[in-house]
Amino acid sequence: MTHLLLFLSCALFLAPLLFLALGALESPAEQASPNLLPERPVWGNFVRAFTDADFSERLPTSLLLAGVYAALTTASSACAGYGLARFRAPGSRLVLVLLALTMMIPGVITLLPTYLLFAKLGLVGTYWPWVLWGLGGNSYIVLLFRQFFVSIPREQEESALLDGCGHLRVFWRVVLPQSRPALAASAVLTFAWAWGDWTAPLLLLDADTTTLAVALTTAYAHEPGHTADNLLAAGSLLYTLPVLALFLVAQRYLTAGAYAVRTG
Amino acid sequence: MNRLFYLFTLPWVAGFAGFTAFPLGYAFWLSLTNTDALAPESRFVGAANYAEVLDDGLAGEALVRTLVFTAVTVPASVAGGLLFAVLLQLPVRGRSLYRAVLFLPAVVPPVAGALTFGALFDRDTGAVNVLLERFGVAGPGWTDGPRLPFVIGVLVLWGLGNLMMVSLAALADVPRDLFDAARVDGAGPLRTFTSVTLPLVSPVLLFQVVTGVIAGLQTYLPALVLGSAGAGGSLAALPEGGYFFMAHVYTRYAVAGRFGYASALLWALFVVTLLCAALMLRTTRRHVFTLTSPGGARP
Repeated sequence: MTHLLLFLSCALFLAPLLFLALGALESPAEQASPNLLPERPVWGNFVRAFTDADFSERLPTSLLLAGVYAALTTASSACAGYGLARFRAPGSRLVLVLLALTMMIPGVITLLPTYLLFAKLGLVGTYWPWVLWGLGGNSYIVLLFRQFFVSIPREQEESALLDGCGHLRVFWRVVLPQSRPALAASAVLTFAWAWGDWTAPLLLLDADTTTLAVALTTAYAHEPGHTADNLLAAGSLLYTLPVLALFLVAQRYLTAGAYAVRTG
Repeated sequence: MNRLFYLFTLPWVAGFAGFTAFPLGYAFWLSLTNTDALAPESRFVGAANYAEVLDDGLAGEALVRTLVFTAVTVPASVAGGLLFAVLLQLPVRGRSLYRAVLFLPAVVPPVAGALTFGALFDRDTGAVNVLLERFGVAGPGWTDGPRLPFVIGVLVLWGLGNLMMVSLAALADVPRDLFDAARVDGAGPLRTFTSVTLPLVSPVLLFQVVTGVIAGLQTYLPALVLGSAGAGGSLAALPEGGYFFMAHVYTRYAVAGRFGYASALLWALFVVTLLCAALMLRTTRRHVFTLTSPGGARP
């Protein structure tokens, strides 16, 4: 009974992806007809999807933006998480409250005015916004790191301090090497966010500088109102696979905290 | 020591100031002006934009649609996640495979998910209508009219793998001896679930509901991706069902360029979000069971 329910659910959850994969292999004639199985798989669709959406330009852009954003967000959020986990100062409670409050604010609410800010600074059409966003860290990731640092013992840090190590050195040399799981979780999540982000590149970048996510939604509309569905499916798969692979590789680092973070 | 706290948290605080506090304040200032992308000059108009928000029939409709959508999809996906977590707790064979498959869709990037569902629910070539056809039912258009929220709702449920993972972790934290004690006292599986499991995971469920509602109220991406595909790629012509509140704000901002008025809409959504969150936290205070001190495992 349990087996049957789980099996049926899994089939249902896999069906959309299966349909996508089948659609990606349909010939132009088949994609406009209501059949589900392609007669003869057209593997060339993947090549055409790659060239039509200009993957050779858009893929490096997506990799660059997601990579830069992930690296910087992880670094700055780890710093803030460490500060919150280990030090007290006037205002440290306020910082915690602000962190929690930030999580209550839908991200897109701040995105639109931030767009106007970047426009004033002349940063529209450049990749600087991703650098700045990365440097500013992310509240969810800060809390992820704080929880992690609170849970690891302090003895090593204290003995390193007694040996005359500075706090920054201790953080770099003693704390971070023990924090691989949190670092990996943060890197994977933030990379996936930036990779999946559609609105920010849509607002800030133009067709020649944008990311895969945006290119995907525009590239296959060969005539207005008519989209090459087989290429769209092939392109969507090509765009999805890197993140799937990333999660598969990093699976063992993604603890409950990391999943909780992603629901936001 | 003080210095160190400020040093370590400085990047986040600067980011908060630049990308949260300033935009919110700036949006509030804009909401009191008639700033427009086309008009060169803007001037202070007081609460006029807010008065227009209250009068804006489209905004009201969009808000109701968004609230109903959130009220349906959030409990459904949290309950679904919990159900799968409970099933996967049982000693079934191949459960790590089941878990991986159920989680998989949660990893699919939002745009790819929306495009997949657009194809799946296509009027002529989508699998849903093709299957309906086999049963002799003429499938309707799903993404170009009032049925769009249904498609987006299914898309949201498809991605409940995150919630399942969180619930699984919460269930794993429930002390084993409580289940044994319940069995000794003669409680059946259902009774054990309602009297032991549910109270113990309730803080995690509340967290899922609150973050889910916050995310649900700002739903716009699938609506824009699916809706504008149906409307020939033009955001200005979103089908009626795709008119979620945030989609309305987005079109006012990016299409109409009415920055002042759209900022007032943003602030209205912000206030609604905070009210919903406060209401949920208040009303559940007595019903949510906390085993450890608050600030324990929950962020």
